[in-house]
Amino acid sequence: MSERLKEVFKREINGVTRLVAYIMAGDPSPEASLRRLKGLADHGVDILELGVPFSDPMADGVVIQAAAERSLSARMTVKKTLELVREFRRTHQTPLLLMSYLNPLLRYGWDQFVVDAAEVGVDGFILPDLPWREGEGLRTRTKNRVGNKLAFIPMIAQTSREQDVQAVSQVTEGFAYVLSRNGITGGEVEIPANVSQFIESLGNSLQIPRCVGFGIQKPQQVRALANVCDGVVVGSALVKTFAKLDQAGLEEQDLILQEKEVFTWLASLKK
Amino acid sequence: MTKETLHVLSADGYETKGHFGPYGGAYVPETLVPALRELEEAYLQSCQDESFQEEFKELLQRYVGRPSLFYEAKRLAEQLGGARIYLKREDLNHTGAHKINNTLGQVLLAKRMGKKRVIAETGAGQHGVATATACALFALPCVIYMGEEDVHRQNLNVLRMRLLGAEVRTVTHGSCTLKDAINEALRDWVTNVEDTFYCFGTAAGPHPYPTIVRDFQTVIGQETRAQAFNELGKLPDAIIACIGGGSNAIGIFHPFIEDSEVRLIGVEAGGTGNKTGENAATLCLGEPGVLHGAYSYLLQDEDGQIVVTTSVSAGLDYPGVGPEHSNLKETGRAEYVSISDQEALEACSLLCKTEGILPALESAHAVAYAAKLAPRLSKEQVIVVNLSGRGDKDVETLAQYIDGGKNHE
Repeated sequence: MSERLKEVFKREINGVTRLVAYIMAGDPSPEASLRRLKGLADHGVDILELGVPFSDPMADGVVIQAAAERSLSARMTVKKTLELVREFRRTHQTPLLLMSYLNPLLRYGWDQFVVDAAEVGVDGFILPDLPWREGEGLRTRTKNRVGNKLAFIPMIAQTSREQDVQAVSQVTEGFAYVLSRNGITGGEVEIPANVSQFIESLGNSLQIPRCVGFGIQKPQQVRALANVCDGVVVGSALVKTFAKLDQAGLEEQDLILQEKEVFTWLASLKK
Repeated sequence: MTKETLHVLSADGYETKGHFGPYGGAYVPETLVPALRELEEAYLQSCQDESFQEEFKELLQRYVGRPSLFYEAKRLAEQLGGARIYLKREDLNHTGAHKINNTLGQVLLAKRMGKKRVIAETGAGQHGVATATACALFALPCVIYMGEEDVHRQNLNVLRMRLLGAEVRTVTHGSCTLKDAINEALRDWVTNVEDTFYCFGTAAGPHPYPTIVRDFQTVIGQETRAQAFNELGKLPDAIIACIGGGSNAIGIFHPFIEDSEVRLIGVEAGGTGNKTGENAATLCLGEPGVLHGAYSYLLQDEDGQIVVTTSVSAGLDYPGVGPEHSNLKETGRAEYVSISDQEALEACSLLCKTEGILPALESAHAVAYAAKLAPRLSKEQVIVVNLSGRGDKDVETLAQYIDGGKNHE
């Protein structure tokens, strides 16, 4: 797997836990999303998740859905997303995962996609409509093309049963993305109190670190989860905050200043 | 995309389960994986359970009114010339379409699984009405997702669902049609998966839905087979059915798949033209990809985004199709053609005037293709059209065209 991703979990934690941050490529423009990727990396984000827009994001709530619509309106594609990563990699070494529904990637052509993704410096994938048991074929093909350069991040759901967890027990790359609750991304639904218990119940059945996502937006949540996991994912809350800035009609200079405040807010979540 | 991509998508050992050739699978969020497994297990048990099968059969007879009629449309055939035409009258079922066969089966399953709440998506509203009906019968609360555009053009069915006690939630995302209603229903399911049963309306979606829905709809083909033998002493020469997701078509096709002498013809919505966005002819004009949990043909653009579709008939206005149809296309066992909005409307009017039967606009697509095919066949040959639903729900839409037509007369 990518050395960059491996390093993050070896390194000493800066704050209470590691921070994984999500934004959508091309929302609201390729330039703005590149600037934000760099800003997030410069302000202590440990792992970046870059969304690839899709017309029918069935695992996402209204916030990410709206981001995908803005990104598609800006004519974002898989190819342009990879270009964006290439630009980012000229200056930054923060590990970066692409989060994408399958169809745009299949349409690009899977074998070519993984070669190009590895080449521009992508470290792995989070694929919300590829459950682990259906992914074996694509994982094998990926390995055949690019070896261990790209990690597949398995998801563990609240509904997952022993056999589902067992299926990822042999995984030694990346981290497990543990869903804090059933449902879609974002929303005001509170994270259930028993999440910590759930993560602890995974015990030694996984060889990889655990990061928790879905609905995380407050420092208290992060502190509570920090004891039982290796990182937290912030997605919708961040996308929503940037979207508000974009809709405020600010001059570019003001916008950039305001973005810095968002980075600072995000960094404060893990203080 | 190359065909080679298709096969390796599926994991080892999972090939025979839920795949039709390279198509199918269960490409869903991890949260839903255990729910689909639970559904598959419950379904397989119900297949072995005689009391379940008895209850289902009894409902089909005493509540739906099966077997549905196998009616020879003599005046229609006379007018067209050529082959004899039979109509499989699914429009005479309780609630007015084939959809009820599936919803009774699935709601029985929901009850068996101890689920407390049923959700469903609907396009034309027929599946919504059929789900609401089954839920009323079994006293289960029911939520139906329906795209805003469809709420307007099928308002009669919205009212029917409400009368039946269902809550209709209008979907205002995306194209505001069936595909967006499915997205929203999937979002509800992934959120409330522990106590909710998703009653899927067509033979598409993630495994095991394409198999379950097909099996509940196969009664159409089984009856047709028996009725054809009784009435004609032979199998029909061609069977024609309309295809949105493809449940009425797979239901009537399936018992004939081994009979290679019977032509199986699926009719898609040709809309207003062949350009992207002007139709919903997924198998005729699309390419394989993943949407709503299955690998199957899709209408998509060059970047893999799903495109907006057009059809006068809400029930066919869908950019995907069931995976078993994709495989029947691939193997060449079934033929897939398309019929334009205009042709469907004309066929609707033709069937009204020759037979006194008002078909649903969906089913009118199948009638329209029969009207094209019949004159090319001999008098000894027999076409069966699956008349999947009745057209009462379409009267408002039809009125616009009839008024327009009057000016030309």
